[in-house]
Amino acid sequence: MATLIEAETPDVLGPAAPKRGAGGVGRYILVRFLLIFPTIFILVTLVFFLMRITGDPITAALGGRLPQDQLDARIHEAGYDRPILVQYFEYLGQIATGNFGVTLSDRRPVIEMLATFGTATLELAINALVVALLIGIPLGMVAAHRRDRTPDAVLRFFAILCYATPVFFAGLLLKLTFSVALGWLPVSGRASTNTELAMSQLAAPSGIYWLDAIRSGNFQALGDIAAHAVLPAVALGLLTAGVFLRLVRTNLIGTLGKDYVEAGRSRGVSEFRLVTKHAYKPALIPIITVMGLQIALLLGGAVLTETTFEWKGLGFQLAQYLTARDFVAVQGIVMLLAVIVAVTNFVVDILAAIIDPRVRY
Amino acid sequence: MAINKKALQCAIALAGVSAFALTACTGPTGGTTSNGSGSTASTIAYGTTDKVTALDPAGSYDNGSFMVMNQIFPFLLNSKPGGADPVPDIAESASFTKPTEYTVKLKSDLKWANGHTLDSKDVKFSFDRQVKIKDPSGPSSLLTNIASISTPDAQTVVFTLKQANDQTFAQILSSPAGPIVDDEVFPADKLLSDEDIVKAKAFHGQYTIESYNKNTLISLKPYADYKGVLDKPANGGATIKYYTDQSNMKLDVQQGNLDVANRSLSATDIEDLKKDSKVKVHVGPGGEMRYIVFNYNVMPFGAKTADADPAKAHAVRQAMANLVDRQAIADQVYKGTYLPLWSNVPSGFLGANESFKDLYGQDGKPSPDKAKKVLADAGVTTPVTIKLQYNPDHYGKSSGDEYAMVKDQLEKDGLFKVELQSTEWVTYNKASKADTYPVHQLGWFPDFSDPDNYLTPFFPKGGFMNNHYSNPEVDKLIAKQLTESDKAAREKDIQDVQKLLAEDISTLPLLQGAQVAVAGASVKGVDSTLDASFKFRLGSVSK
Amino acid sequence: MSETTTAALQPPAPRKAPLLDRLPVTSHIRQSVGLQRTMLLIGVSLTGLFLLAAVFAPLLAPYGYAQISDASGTFPAQAAPGGKHPWGTTVGGYDVLSRVLWGSQTAATVIVVSVAMSIFVGVALGLLSGYFGGWLDRILVVIADAIYAFPSLLLAIVMSIVISQGQSSFWGGILACSISITVVFVPQYFRVIRAETIRLKAEPFVESAMVVGASSWRIMGRHIFKNATRTLPLIFTLNSSEAILTLAGLGFLGFGIEPTSAAEWGFDLNKALADTTSGIWWTGVFPGVAIVLSVLGLTLMGESMNDLNDPRLRGRRAAGSKRSGGKAKKAGKP
Repeated sequence: MATLIEAETPDVLGPAAPKRGAGGVGRYILVRFLLIFPTIFILVTLVFFLMRITGDPITAALGGRLPQDQLDARIHEAGYDRPILVQYFEYLGQIATGNFGVTLSDRRPVIEMLATFGTATLELAINALVVALLIGIPLGMVAAHRRDRTPDAVLRFFAILCYATPVFFAGLLLKLTFSVALGWLPVSGRASTNTELAMSQLAAPSGIYWLDAIRSGNFQALGDIAAHAVLPAVALGLLTAGVFLRLVRTNLIGTLGKDYVEAGRSRGVSEFRLVTKHAYKPALIPIITVMGLQIALLLGGAVLTETTFEWKGLGFQLAQYLTARDFVAVQGIVMLLAVIVAVTNFVVDILAAIIDPRVRY
Repeated sequence: MAINKKALQCAIALAGVSAFALTACTGPTGGTTSNGSGSTASTIAYGTTDKVTALDPAGSYDNGSFMVMNQIFPFLLNSKPGGADPVPDIAESASFTKPTEYTVKLKSDLKWANGHTLDSKDVKFSFDRQVKIKDPSGPSSLLTNIASISTPDAQTVVFTLKQANDQTFAQILSSPAGPIVDDEVFPADKLLSDEDIVKAKAFHGQYTIESYNKNTLISLKPYADYKGVLDKPANGGATIKYYTDQSNMKLDVQQGNLDVANRSLSATDIEDLKKDSKVKVHVGPGGEMRYIVFNYNVMPFGAKTADADPAKAHAVRQAMANLVDRQAIADQVYKGTYLPLWSNVPSGFLGANESFKDLYGQDGKPSPDKAKKVLADAGVTTPVTIKLQYNPDHYGKSSGDEYAMVKDQLEKDGLFKVELQSTEWVTYNKASKADTYPVHQLGWFPDFSDPDNYLTPFFPKGGFMNNHYSNPEVDKLIAKQLTESDKAAREKDIQDVQKLLAEDISTLPLLQGAQVAVAGASVKGVDSTLDASFKFRLGSVSK
Repeated sequence: MSETTTAALQPPAPRKAPLLDRLPVTSHIRQSVGLQRTMLLIGVSLTGLFLLAAVFAPLLAPYGYAQISDASGTFPAQAAPGGKHPWGTTVGGYDVLSRVLWGSQTAATVIVVSVAMSIFVGVALGLLSGYFGGWLDRILVVIADAIYAFPSLLLAIVMSIVISQGQSSFWGGILACSISITVVFVPQYFRVIRAETIRLKAEPFVESAMVVGASSWRIMGRHIFKNATRTLPLIFTLNSSEAILTLAGLGFLGFGIEPTSAAEWGFDLNKALADTTSGIWWTGVFPGVAIVLSVLGLTLMGESMNDLNDPRLRGRRAAGSKRSGGKAKKAGKP
């Protein structure tokens, strides 16, 4: 909620931020930058203790086949029966030295696991963002321009419908229509087997398939990757498109009423040009800010999209690791998400501060 | 507008920084490079929803990992397609030379795919290593009967056992604890990562791994110098594709992107696939078992309850055994992918009988009259309130439906009032062993294909379930059959113990799983590997 | 941009109308015109339908949510819609219509419990933090920001595992889901209330009241309550829709409520995945549409109310009146 307030009407935060004297942008940025670390620390600590409450990976994996004394022996062997604070400080020491460990349920180095799944999620998020922008911005402009008339009504309803449809339901309907009934697009996955093999044989893959395909000049693979990307991107993109549509509409309506736009109108500037040039540019700033904030939304939506479309990414993997009680993996993923979220928040706050100096606190 | 432009530029610049921060967190993926030799038309694609924990045999004890190990590692003993009896694999012969000595002679000139020699040193190393590492998620607990291993020469391995004439030992050598690994590649005291195993080409199976993307895609190539008991692969190579959603796997096998889909498809999917002429549903015997556990301490009239009465508790168990309708559950919830199970040892194993069918119900149908009578005879006032626990996430999504039916069947005649409860797996597991659940659901997938795997872990001293069941006669029979080298005598012991167990009802067996694989209509060889060894050998499949 | 932001927060417009017109929804309907009124009315009727179903589920549903047999025998599995089961049955033999109706009750309960808990905890912490300031404030703000910024569904999953230990009854499941959702919502209420408290603390009349000896708690409580009544209905509707989506997301991923404890749409949709690829559409479509319609109703209602509070967006005739501050729009969604 507050994310959008900040972006749309930065003044609302005014009262929350008792104005201090001339702190200067530099100082604010520094303070805000330092705040990133406690944010990450808090999330990592929370997750560490929450995970220990929920049980151990050994019971999760072998509880159904071994007697309790054997389980206990294994738990002791792994050190999970030591005092929790000892384990906590050991963990802090490890991450301080850059040792994130090896996942318990599938034995991967955490860094490598994050790299593999992180790039997959990044690719999905980029695809979805492109879809969202392509749908959201033009339609939002149309809605603002034809405000309170039928197109506006239809588009706003569409925006809310996008929001109201759970990603997994939208994904299911898309899949049933375009891959099962019509057979136009593949059912699931990031690429077909041959492409996956080709991708895994590249010397230094970036992990983002379309980038790798372009770099290696494999355009057959690129087509295959594109076909696989469409449905997940649309399912996740529509969710965000609704937010963008509304945002563009609201901000454009705000700027369309401005004096300089009126002035332009009186000078005979065409209405199309007014919407796309004069009113649109100032409205773009909050939109860019919100784009940053959509990262959290996209990451959340990604779990459900990834599950529906067999897209092996971070969000989906997190759900798997949670079920397996894989402390190490969950902590690693949360750490990465916390970094992403904290950094994006930092950037967004700095942007807001540059746009409106009164936001600083 | 000037301000706006500047702000906009800042915005874009900072967005760039943010994007950089994102990519900075994500390095290159751990893809493996290979010479990329062309696998041709006859490569088969296999799909599964199982997961690989680790390729290192010392570090995993699950179906997903074991399936891959079976394709790439040698065993001393293994079974051929069509049966579950262990026969020498990379061994020439294997047998008890003394009651506590099991001697294995290896074939000569065995080579790992990387050129290293494979001899008795590797064998001793493999088992010693498992016991030494004792990994929390490894199968070392299967090896407790080994006292020591010696290697008189490069071709001979002698296992000294603690318990004489262990009838399951041959099976254990072909179980998840059995794969032999390369002593020049694997460290003796810690696990080796999957990537390093692949890089070192430490394989000697029907296949070697060509490219490995964990739990996404594995590409396998036939190993030319394989000397084991299995035939040369019938295909030119194979890929294993990992799924997380059953319906995606189903659609892929329907659309021809997969040649075989195995473990596991939902009952609804399988029923639908049966109607599809493009694919064929193959069914083989299964070792999976679903059953209800009674906790002798806290079940109604149990030893630690206020109105403890062993006779009444027994009557309650008998009444439940009379009321459950296994066939109805198998048909409605599982659409025939599970079959009714009438004994603690599933059918297909040595000595398996239908002891529960003989004692309870009427010709396999539930019998409310018998249930009423047994309760009345014991003086139990009805309805008996039962707290029935099940777990919704460990034994498949259908557990909820299954137990809703059990509840319905028990309540139908007014003899029981069932409070159905479900709990998430880890908590469930702890609580079930800590006398919290009076009556609860469990499932079992065998470690190896031997009837003892359904007896020893379960019944002596309450078994791993810790349900406080104790019957000295049962314990004695189970111990006896374990070391009985005369097959007919062992079969008789196993039959007798099932009879005793059906009378006591420590657990109430409900269903036995079948192995179901769905393959393209033109795919051959699936049936031959869907045998009682529960090992899927990719090498048997061709198209 | 600077022009748009000059208008600082204004005190609420003077009150005048009778009580009925001041109630959140009715006053909004009166204010609205044309298109906005249509959207608001659609939203109100869908929400009404949802609430009716929730309250009267026991009367409306032909069978219980976990009922798989009646006097005439066990229900068939995956029966097509028609006859005894107007919307068909699931693989377990549950009646789809009954489960959709009972599902609205589960959703409504989760909404009420989670939003009520969020408001209570969020308001309490916001007041404390804003009033005392200092270290407590800083720590709470950082924690709230950290939790707020984190993807809500992921947080809810972690919480549901922590909370649901051993609980499987109707209320156990409901509470696990509600608390998971509460954890995500609290920072939102916390932010609003804290900002308001800080603003009020600096107001001259509060200081003078303190000088005269009146309890500043009382004064602030009154003002915050007044302000809250203006903005909370809006947050409430928007959070309600988010609660439904989070609950459905949890259920879909298998972290929700089991079918024998309560009917839950997301769970049913998850179970229906296998059906949909086998041509059995009714087990998935009905719960899915139920989610969409109830969220649609709540969101339409919340959006329209939000637009009416924002003069820039109100119907053109009403434009130009004073803007009201502190309204909230939501961005999050699982």
